[in-house]
Amino acid sequence: MVQVPTRSCYPITLLGRSLDGAAPEVCRTTLYFPLIMNAIEIRGLEKSYRVYQKQEGLLASLTGLFQREYRDVNAVKGIDLDVQKGEFVAFLGPNGAGKTTTLKLLSGVISPSGGRATVLGHVPWERENSYRRKFALVMGQKNQLWWDLPAQESFKLHQQIYRIDSQKFNNTRDELVDLLDVRNLLGQPVRELSLGERMKMELTAALLHSPEVLFLDEPTIGLDVIAQHNIQKFLKHYQQVRGITILLTSHYMKDIAALCKRVVMIADGEIMYDGSLEGIIDQFSGHKVLTLQFAEERMPSDLSHYGEVLEIVEPKAKLRVERGEIAGVLSSVLASHSVADVSVEDPPLEDVIADLFKQSTNKQAETKAAAAQATIGK
Amino acid sequence: MHPSYLGVFLTFARNSLIRDMTFRTNFLIEVVSSMSWMIMNLGFYTLVYQFTPDIEGWGKYEFFVFIATTMFVNSLVQAFFMPNAQELSELVRTGGLDFALLKPIDTQFLVSLRRVNWSSLGNFFVALVLLVYALPRIENFQLFWWQILLYPFYVLMGVLILYSIMITLAATSIWLGRNQSLYDFWFYITNFSRYPMEIYRGSYGEPLRNAFTFVIPILVVINVPAKILAKPFNSQGGGMAADWRFLALFTLFATAASLIFSRWIFKKALGSYRSASS
Repeated sequence: MVQVPTRSCYPITLLGRSLDGAAPEVCRTTLYFPLIMNAIEIRGLEKSYRVYQKQEGLLASLTGLFQREYRDVNAVKGIDLDVQKGEFVAFLGPNGAGKTTTLKLLSGVISPSGGRATVLGHVPWERENSYRRKFALVMGQKNQLWWDLPAQESFKLHQQIYRIDSQKFNNTRDELVDLLDVRNLLGQPVRELSLGERMKMELTAALLHSPEVLFLDEPTIGLDVIAQHNIQKFLKHYQQVRGITILLTSHYMKDIAALCKRVVMIADGEIMYDGSLEGIIDQFSGHKVLTLQFAEERMPSDLSHYGEVLEIVEPKAKLRVERGEIAGVLSSVLASHSVADVSVEDPPLEDVIADLFKQSTNKQAETKAAAAQATIGK
Repeated sequence: MHPSYLGVFLTFARNSLIRDMTFRTNFLIEVVSSMSWMIMNLGFYTLVYQFTPDIEGWGKYEFFVFIATTMFVNSLVQAFFMPNAQELSELVRTGGLDFALLKPIDTQFLVSLRRVNWSSLGNFFVALVLLVYALPRIENFQLFWWQILLYPFYVLMGVLILYSIMITLAATSIWLGRNQSLYDFWFYITNFSRYPMEIYRGSYGEPLRNAFTFVIPILVVINVPAKILAKPFNSQGGGMAADWRFLALFTLFATAASLIFSRWIFKKALGSYRSASS
């Protein structure tokens, strides 16, 4: 949606007038200037489920037939997000964070409990056909191809459903199967394909109608390193050539590092972070890793007051030091010991994220425990 | 641009056939077993007619036409709708319905006709043979052009009524999460449709007949086409309500109402679809 073009128009109009007085002309061209068109706009999106709280044991199950206890699970708790056309955005988060639920909301599979969202100007859960021909959803854990038939038969079905003209269909299919290197497997029943090959066929099926927006839910789950790499390479290439908008969820940091400049971290149904992958460290890691190589014959024994000792392999020691104290620690170490080499590094990204996830899972567990306590209290 | 519904259906039918042919033996066993079930049924009624010349006005060969009609309707329902209704419950439980919801095509159409169970059409041909055998043996039988038109038409109406009931039942699995008794329930209900409506008499029969004609209209499914072909002129017992002309008119209304009702239920159910977590 083009937002308030008039406003972004003013400064350039003034500039235009001061230069040659051709204000209207310049103004008209600037209307196209804010090509920052959002493919996806999400405001306060919420989804909660009511789940039956099953008690342990047979007797409890029987009473559960008549008297049920329900618990509300807030899978998505008011998310705001804008994604521009042509962006490749990753959703990162622990299991149960609400990533898949968000993708399902955006594909209109389920309806939200609150908030709103538009994708390419459509409200997804209205399930308009005009919207449904513009996007695709690929889920690593589910398959949509006919299990007992060769993939090409499912492709033909898609051709009919999306009514792709056969010239275009053949071209697109050939291009995709060549890029993914699965042309020779087209005639083999899907049940006989390996997991990686099946995922490539799923991707082909999803892209046959040339969607403008692609939702990928853990597309590389369970795949070996080579297959993962191949799919990453394909997605990167395809996204660059076609300039489509992609939203991807994955547990593999490698997927995300290889593909997405922008990472949206979701935990416990809320957005915790939105920015670059590297930025996560700056924002969430309060410490640095200090590696010291001592020149002395004997390692100092009292390193622990400088920071948390991570590892000692003589003559080297690794310390975890609060970010704000790094300068002070460093100068006092240098003052009191003879040091041969020093390095100060950010902690590995995986560790930072794992820590963050642990925190959010603990928080989740606490809230659940509190809720359970409240139920028992009743 | 709208999808070509016929093209999609033909592709479904074609893919199903390819799949059935991959498992040839299974296919043959299915054909043989469903055929033998119907032939055993026929044998049973032959036995019954040893003891009575007619059942409430239905002579042996007239009743054979009735059975042939049952076979036509059932084979069509089982070929086109039964496997899909059963699968809908499974799609809901596993979350596979997600993919159906993504497609730019009517979801009810998609889930209702995804699979064609070709083996069930075996009975369709058995029914044809039975019809050709039984019709000329009916006393004073004459065939009019309007019977040839109306019979297939009302067989189709019957199929549509049964489809509506079936998809309504199947749609409840979207609310319930799982509904595996679908097939049993279906069998209990349709069991009533397999007999001439004249036999529903007396203080127990009348209410049953009214309920299964005007509330859940399964009695008209077989009775109306069967009467059109086998007993176009005599309406014995039951008065006006058993006269096929009245029933035929009512069937048009019942078919439309069933289809509209089932579509309403289906849409309502889809609105509360929760999807399975992956």
